[in-house]
Formats: sequence, structure tokens, C-alpha cells
Amino acid sequence: MTSHLVLAASAGDALTWVVWFAAALACVASGVAVVSFSNPFYSALALIGNLASLAVLYLLLSAEFVAAAQVLVYAGAVMVMFLFVIAYLGGRADAPWAGGPSLNRVAAVAAGGAILVEVLVAVGLDAGGGLSHPAHVGASFGSPADIGRLFLTDHLLAFEITSVVLLVAAVGGVVLGSHARRLQAEAEEAVPARQPVPARDEPPVEVPAAR
Amino acid sequence: MRGPDVVWYLGVAAVMFSTGALGVLLRRSPLIVLLSLELMLNAANLALIAFSRGHGGGAGQIFALSVMAVAASEVVVGLGLIVAMARRKLALDVDKLTSLRG
Amino acid sequence: MTEITTAWICLFLPLAATVAIALAGNALGRRAAGLLATGAVACSFVAAAVSFVSLLGHNPSSRSHVSTAWSWLTAGSLHFGLSILVDPLSVFMMLVVSGVGALIVGYSIGYMHGDDEERRYFAYMAFFVFSMLLLVQGGNLVLLLAGWGLVGLSSYLLIGFWHERPSAVAAAKKAFVMNAFGDATFALALFLLIAKTGTLDYQAVFTSAGGLSTAVLALVSLGLLGGAVAKSAQLPLHTWLPDAMEGPTPVSALIHAATMVTAGVYLIVRMSPIFELSPHVQDTAAALGAFTLVAAGLIALVQTDIKRVIAYSTMSQIGYMFLGAGLGAYASGLFHLLTHAFFKALLFLAAGLVIHALAGEQDIRKMGGLRRLMPKTYACFLVGSLSLVGIPPFSGFFSKDPIVAAASARGDAFGWMMYVLALAGAGLTGAYTFRLVFRVFGGEPSGFVRETFDARHGEGPLVMLVPVAALALLATAGGWLQVPGGWSAVSDWLRPVAAPLVEATTSQEALASALSVAAGVAGVAVAWWIYSARRAPAPEPWPELEHKLYFDELYDAVFYRPAATAARLLLALVEGPLVGGSIEGLSGGVRRLAALTRRLQTGLVRTYALALAASLAVLAVVFIAVR
Repeated sequence: MTSHLVLAASAGDALTWVVWFAAALACVASGVAVVSFSNPFYSALALIGNLASLAVLYLLLSAEFVAAAQVLVYAGAVMVMFLFVIAYLGGRADAPWAGGPSLNRVAAVAAGGAILVEVLVAVGLDAGGGLSHPAHVGASFGSPADIGRLFLTDHLLAFEITSVVLLVAAVGGVVLGSHARRLQAEAEEAVPARQPVPARDEPPVEVPAAR
Repeated sequence: MRGPDVVWYLGVAAVMFSTGALGVLLRRSPLIVLLSLELMLNAANLALIAFSRGHGGGAGQIFALSVMAVAASEVVVGLGLIVAMARRKLALDVDKLTSLRG
Repeated sequence: MTEITTAWICLFLPLAATVAIALAGNALGRRAAGLLATGAVACSFVAAAVSFVSLLGHNPSSRSHVSTAWSWLTAGSLHFGLSILVDPLSVFMMLVVSGVGALIVGYSIGYMHGDDEERRYFAYMAFFVFSMLLLVQGGNLVLLLAGWGLVGLSSYLLIGFWHERPSAVAAAKKAFVMNAFGDATFALALFLLIAKTGTLDYQAVFTSAGGLSTAVLALVSLGLLGGAVAKSAQLPLHTWLPDAMEGPTPVSALIHAATMVTAGVYLIVRMSPIFELSPHVQDTAAALGAFTLVAAGLIALVQTDIKRVIAYSTMSQIGYMFLGAGLGAYASGLFHLLTHAFFKALLFLAAGLVIHALAGEQDIRKMGGLRRLMPKTYACFLVGSLSLVGIPPFSGFFSKDPIVAAASARGDAFGWMMYVLALAGAGLTGAYTFRLVFRVFGGEPSGFVRETFDARHGEGPLVMLVPVAALALLATAGGWLQVPGGWSAVSDWLRPVAAPLVEATTSQEALASALSVAAGVAGVAVAWWIYSARRAPAPEPWPELEHKLYFDELYDAVFYRPAATAARLLLALVEGPLVGGSIEGLSGGVRRLAALTRRLQTGLVRTYALALAASLAVLAVVFIAVR
């Protein structure tokens, strides 16, 4: 029986590893794709793929609610908004590697590479320490009930502040949009408007002094 | 825990983060820059979830949800700015937006 | 004691007037400022007179009082108090300064009427009177030096009173710089005294002077003499006095005739115990006086500005006083100081009336015939001139001749040389004085005079005529204070302070008087022959005299040119590159640094993001390493 369990466990383990590899590869590949495409539309689609693979990774980490939220909110709402805007703007192409290596480019690659190396080193150094023994989690870990309880008890302040941030962003979005619309309206008005030139015989229009 | 350790997830997160950073630093279109920014935020989220699993507490997931909310707000404002720029017929090229030049 | 209280009052009243005029500003009317200044100086004179009378009541041997108000300066073992000395010599000088000063300040009310800055003038005049009183009343050498410097300052301020005139400003600077040279030698002498005796109180210095070496005494007296020569405009530090005539005429009368320029004589008499211990320096003083006497007389013969003639005359007469003090005839020198104050101030003020009436013209070649047009002025001017030449019974006769007699009383070759020079000076005095009188007042009115003189204005306002008349009276009667062979009020008064070194016999006095009157009359006759009777044409003036014996050119070449060149060199080599360059360099450096820093503000978001990423990379290394 235990051998079945072990086999099943090892088979489950292997399956996890395979799924993990696939999702991780998809993550990295789509990440590279986001950065490399010249058409922003394709980049956005790549990001959606990235989000989906991330959701898989979250599931592997027993964070079900977050995975669901990721797909629903991030991929479903935020990326759709992105795609709307890209569609509205016409998706102008932008050649990413034009111009050859410049000081800026070389320095950017160096900085990015340095960050990667450093994080890997940091993570690798601690591998022998606190990260090698993951805690045992119960079945309710990562469930909506758990998350909900945490939101409303231990992390109530974070919850409230997050809602305020969302409100502010919504208001800001409306203001940005309406401001732009008002400015455009004014720009259209200013062009044809002009004072009617009085005829020579007519006396000039008297403007009564404001009292 | 079945499958890879938390460390592996952190490695993926690191690679994603630096890729996103390179995208922010090297691309000229503001839309792509925003997308790369999203990539970086998601990498952070992954790291958070990984740590949450590693320690067994739910705080990391709460944090990740808040990050998602903030990322959404930031995208709203960023896209609003880009649309305003397009309305004013400004070139959508971060190299050309230098009116704050000293 | 009354004399001390009144002496303090006498000293500080003019200062109070200055402060009041300065602080009141425009709230005080112009006339009121003049009246305030005159009133203060007049009250000062009354206080001095009370001091004098009070001192008379004392025994002649106990007429010296020192009164200290508070301790002014204490440094280590040195201690100087704010003290005044009330003794016969200081009271004598106080009377002269405040008396003649009051008359002249009153005259200025009329002379400066209508000037824009009358109030400033009267403030300065009152300040000058205070400074001069401080000089003569100072109870120790420090206060003497303080008064010395302050009169130099007042002179500078008043010579350059009309400061829009570049010539006036230049003259003021010249006076101040030359006096500064004298002040420096004076101060060096004081430093030596402090080093050797540790005190600057008169009595203490005189008692310890006996113990000093001859070299120190000679140096101290030379330093004091330097200061006296500069202040009294004797050769070789005399070139500032003629230029000082740029100031208003009352200033010339008060400062450059009656009082400030006589401060040198006062110094020699006051410090006579020191000078008597260095006879060679005292002889030098006498010799300088004698040479100045003759040289100034010669130069006065060719001057064409009425005030400059009188200025050189002042220089010459102070030469007499220096001669007297140098020979040891202190009372005679001071008596001549007194009479000279009367008749020289009279001459200046009368000249001021002439200048006033001729709308500011001072060139005597344009004048003539004013005798009939300004009879009162003519009379006063004549009185002053006769007094100056030394014709009896005017005051100059009684004061000048004892000095000449003292030279003969000395007996040695040096004394005879001084005798001859003094007599020659008397002749020259007659010549240049009456040249002036005949040119300005004699003959027919010149064309210029006819055009400019306005008979309706008369000779001048009453406030100007009254002081002139008073001075004329004093110039006539003042000589009778001391008649050789009769009584000697001045000598007796001053004997406790400055006992004379030489006393002439009656026969020597009589011979000296006869000879100097004869010389003076001879000079007057020559002037009459040439300028009045026109029997002979005026001789061509010698170029050396016209250039005032080339002293100005000499000083220009020896002192001014090198200094100016050095200043120019320093400007080019030090000021420009170092001072300006360092500031320039500093600001340029800052600007360059700012330009460099400005390049960071590219305005590109990508650059800023790169900076963020780079700093993050660096910080991560730090955190990893530190862990």
C-alpha cells in the first residue's frame, strides 16, 4: 500500500515537475516575447499568455483564490483594457533594436543582468537555510474562505486602503478622460471663432464699464 | 511539498523580473513600457506567493492581491495618460518627451 | 573748583552743538544751526574766561590742575584717563581758540548764507572747535594725539566742504595725507615714550625724561617735531596749506590761520622740557621756522590769488613762532600766536568780504580801486596789514620783535644767522603785504570791479561786518598786553609752565625793534614804488618762485609716482588675477559643476529608470555582502 502511495506520490511528483517546467518555460518565453515584439498588440497577447502560465504556477503553490483572481481580474479586465487602448491607438510599430548599441543600452543590459545574477545568488545562498523546509499547509490554505478571513481580520487595513486606491484610480481615470475631451472641444471651438468686423459707418460697439 | 521547492519559483520570478526591467529600460513605446512594468509586478507577485507557501501564512497572498489592485489602478492612469498624449498628437516615444530636460 | 568745571563745560559745549545739529537734521533751520554753533562756541569762551579769572585768583605756583573724568584706556600696566589739564598755557590757548572761533563762526552765518549744506558746515565748525579744545586741554599725550587727529579730520572735512569740486577734494586729501605723515612720527615718538617711561601723563613724562638717553630723547623730540612741522605747514611739509584755501574763507581763517596751524607751536611749548633736553632738535625747529619764514615770504611775492598770499603769509608768521619756540622764547612765540590769530583772521575775513562782494573772484589781477567802494573793509584790511608788517602801535609790532631780539640774545653764530633771516623776513612781509593792499584796494576800479561790484548790497551784512570790526579792534589794541621795557603780562602768566631759555636785554630789544620796523617799512616802500606810484614796472617773477620752489614736483616724483606705479602694478598682477581671478574661478567652477550636473537631467524617463536599476543593483550587492 505504501509503495502504491509512494509510486503515486512519485508519479504525482513527476507530474508536478512536468507541469512546473511547462508553466515556467511558458512564463519566461512569454516574458521575453512581451519585451521583444515590435507590435504592441502582440506584446499584449504575450502578456496574457504570461498571466495564464502564472496562474498555473499559483495553483501549484496552493494559492487557488489568487490564481482565479489573476485570471479574472488581471487577464480578464486589465489586459482587455490594454487591448482596447492599443486598438484605439492603432498599435504603432516601434523598432526595438534600431540604432545599435549605445551607452544607454549597454548600461541597461548590464544593470538588468546584474540584478538577475544578484537575486539568484541571494536566493541560492539561502537555499540551505529557511527556504528548504516549506511549511505544511492544511487544505484550507489559499482558499477563498481563508483569504476572506485574513482580509477581514488580520489585514483589514490593507483591505480598506486597497479599496481607497481603487476608488482614486477610478476617479482619476474619469478626470483624465474628461479633461482631455474638454481640451479637445476647446481646441475645436477656437479655430472658427472671430469677432465680426464692424462696418466703417457703424459706430464701434460700446462695452459698458463694469461697475 | 510536491514538485519543485520554493527556490525554483523564486528563480523564475527573478528571470521574469529582469526581463521586465530590460523591457522598461530598452523600449521606446510607452505601451510596451507599461506592459513590461506589468511583467515586473507579476514577477513580484510570484515571489510573494512562493514565500507565502514557504512560510505557511496567508499574508503573502493578501499582499499579492493588493499588488494586483494597485497594478490595475496604475494601468488605468498610465493608459489615460497615453490616450491624452495621443489626443494631443504627441509622438508616442519616450525619447521625444523631454520637456523636463534641465 | 570752578576752573575745572568751567573747563569741562568749555570743552564739551561745542561737541554738544555738533551732535545737536547732526541729529536734528532738517528739523533745525539753517540760521538756527548757525546761531546754535556760534552760541555754543561763545559760551565756551565765557567758560574759558571764567576759568582764567578763577586761575588768576590762585598763587602763580599752584595754577596747574589735572582733572580726570574716568579711566579711558587700561592695558596691562598702562593707564590713561580721560583727563584735562587746566594750567596757564591751556587756558591761554582755550581763550584764543574759543574767542576767535566764536567771532569767525558768527561771521560764517553771513558768509555761508544760502549755501545748500549750511547745517553740515556749522556742525563741522563746532566739531573743529571741540577737537582743538581737546588738543589744548588734554591732560595726557594720548588725548593730545586724539585732539591732533580730530583737528586733522575736521580740516579734511572742511577743506573738502564743497565736495563737488574736484580741486577741493584733492586739496582735502593732500592736507590729510601730509598731516598723516606728521601724525605717524608723532605716534612713533609716543610709542618710544611708552616703551621707555611707561606713561604718557605730562608730569610723569617730564620727571622721567631726565633719565632717558640722549638718543631716545632726540628721537622722541624729532618725532614730535615731525608732527608739529606737518600740522603747522612748515618746510618741508608745507605744500598742503596753499591748496587748503579751497575751503570756504572762514575755514581758512579759523583753521588755517588762527588755530589749527598753531597747534605745532603749542606742542613744542608744552613739550619744552623734552625739547630742552635735546638742544639740537630744538635748534632744528628754529632753523626750519627761519627758512620757512623767508621761503614763504618769497613765494608770496608772486602769488595772484588773494587767499594764497595770505596763506603763505600765515606760513611765514608761523615760522616766526617756530623760531621763537625753537630759541626758547616761549612766551614771545605764544604772544605772537595770539596777535597773529587776531590780525590774520582779520585779513582773511576782510578778504572774504572782498570775495563776497566780487561774486567769488579771488584773482588780484582783476581787482583794483576797492578803496573807495568798500571803505570799511579797506580800513580793516589796512589795520591787519600794518599789524602784520609790525608797524607800531599795532599788535604785530609788540609780538614779532621780541622773537627777533631773542635771536640776538642767543649770541652764537646760529643766533646771528636766525637774526638776519628774521629781519629779511620782515622786509619780505612788508613787500608782499602791501603789494596785496595796493593791487586790491589801490588805484582806480578795474573793469571787472565796475561790472561786478553792486553798491546796493553794501560791503556785507552786519553779521559779517561786526566780527571783522571786533578783530580789527583786537589787532590794534591786543599788542598792548606786553610791552618790552614796560610790563609783560603774557610772559608772567606763562612763566610757571614754560620759563624762557633766553631773555633779551632792553638794548637788544630796542635794536631789534628798530631794525625790523625799518626792514618792514623798506618792504612797504618797495611795494609802494612798484604798485602804487608805478614808478617802476613789476619785475618778472622767477620761475622757481612761481613753482613754489618745486616742492610739489619733488613730492610728486618721489612719493606719488612710485606709489601710483606700485598701485597699478598690484592692480594688474594681484588684484586682477588673484582676487578677481579667485572669485571668478570660484563662480566659474560652480557654474561648470552645475553644467555637468545638469547633464543628468536628460528629461528622458529611460535614463532615470536606468539610474534606478543601477542603484538597485549596487544596493543588492551591499545587502548581500553585509548579510
